[in-house]
Amino acid sequence: MTLQIATWISRRKWTVAAVGFPIFIAAWWAFRPDKLWINEKVNEPAPFASALDPQPLYTGRLQGKAHQTSGRATLYKRSDGKQYLRLTDFITSNGPDVHVLLVRGDDQGLQQEIVRGNLDSVELGSLKGNQGDQNYDLPGTTDLTKYRTAVIYCERFHAIFGLARLEPF
Amino acid sequence: MIRNSKTAIPLVTLAFTLALQPLVNAQDSKAKPIETGTFHGKVHNTSGRATLYQEQDGKLVLRLTNFKTSNGPDVHVILIAAKDADDDANFLKGNTERVELGSLKGNEGDQNYVVPKGTDLSKFQTVSIYCERFNANFGAAPLEKF
Repeated sequence: MTLQIATWISRRKWTVAAVGFPIFIAAWWAFRPDKLWINEKVNEPAPFASALDPQPLYTGRLQGKAHQTSGRATLYKRSDGKQYLRLTDFITSNGPDVHVLLVRGDDQGLQQEIVRGNLDSVELGSLKGNQGDQNYDLPGTTDLTKYRTAVIYCERFHAIFGLARLEPF
Repeated sequence: MIRNSKTAIPLVTLAFTLALQPLVNAQDSKAKPIETGTFHGKVHNTSGRATLYQEQDGKLVLRLTNFKTSNGPDVHVILIAAKDADDDANFLKGNTERVELGSLKGNEGDQNYVVPKGTDLSKFQTVSIYCERFNANFGAAPLEKF
């Protein structure tokens, strides 16, 4: 059978070529397999050009844990290099001794609602209000490659009210 | 070179105007982020962030950052009338409404797309990188308020 096909092809190799070549071209055009290896890289500037305004570096949505919490947490960098965390559309429940922390992303404590032991964290200050937009300055030396999870944390009961894993803006 | 001040003054003025031009433009095009979301797409490995900016004159611009997807034929950036989209979803089947933003400029890197005037953002809530030829969703980014 295969021999028969082989001889048939060899007898009509010009017909096969005449039909096969356009099919090959059409298939190539449709699937563009060359694009599997070729990347097209672009680099357009942002639509705002003002370098004086604070630039967002990382952002994420807050999710509730021990208490219902929602809103957005965004890390900004000012033009002088100082960084701050800003909460917007923010709502959490009111509570005693509630703080804003940046916690190491792989800290096991983040899996729990009530933390046993301590969180590996950077303290940003007491929560200013349980609703509304608010800013918290970061200590100058914060390593943002590690401490990139914003946590609303009740120190008294070791309860994570809510957290936001921040991703590059 | 320049003999008298009569020719020098207009030249200096011109030089000043040219030097100030980029500064003026920068202030004109100041834009605010209003919505943002991250891409997911496993079949065609898509990642990065999509952010909608509103310029002072109300014009909307979609910007992709840290963006990466697979290269392909006839790939477009569209807004779809859905909360999110499955990986490799075919929007023809579900008859999903969409707004075309243009051909994908590159499969990697930062890039901007103008959103047509009058686009209802409360309806078109998700960005999709869509291959028109095979009706395949390479990746989708549901947008949420920034």
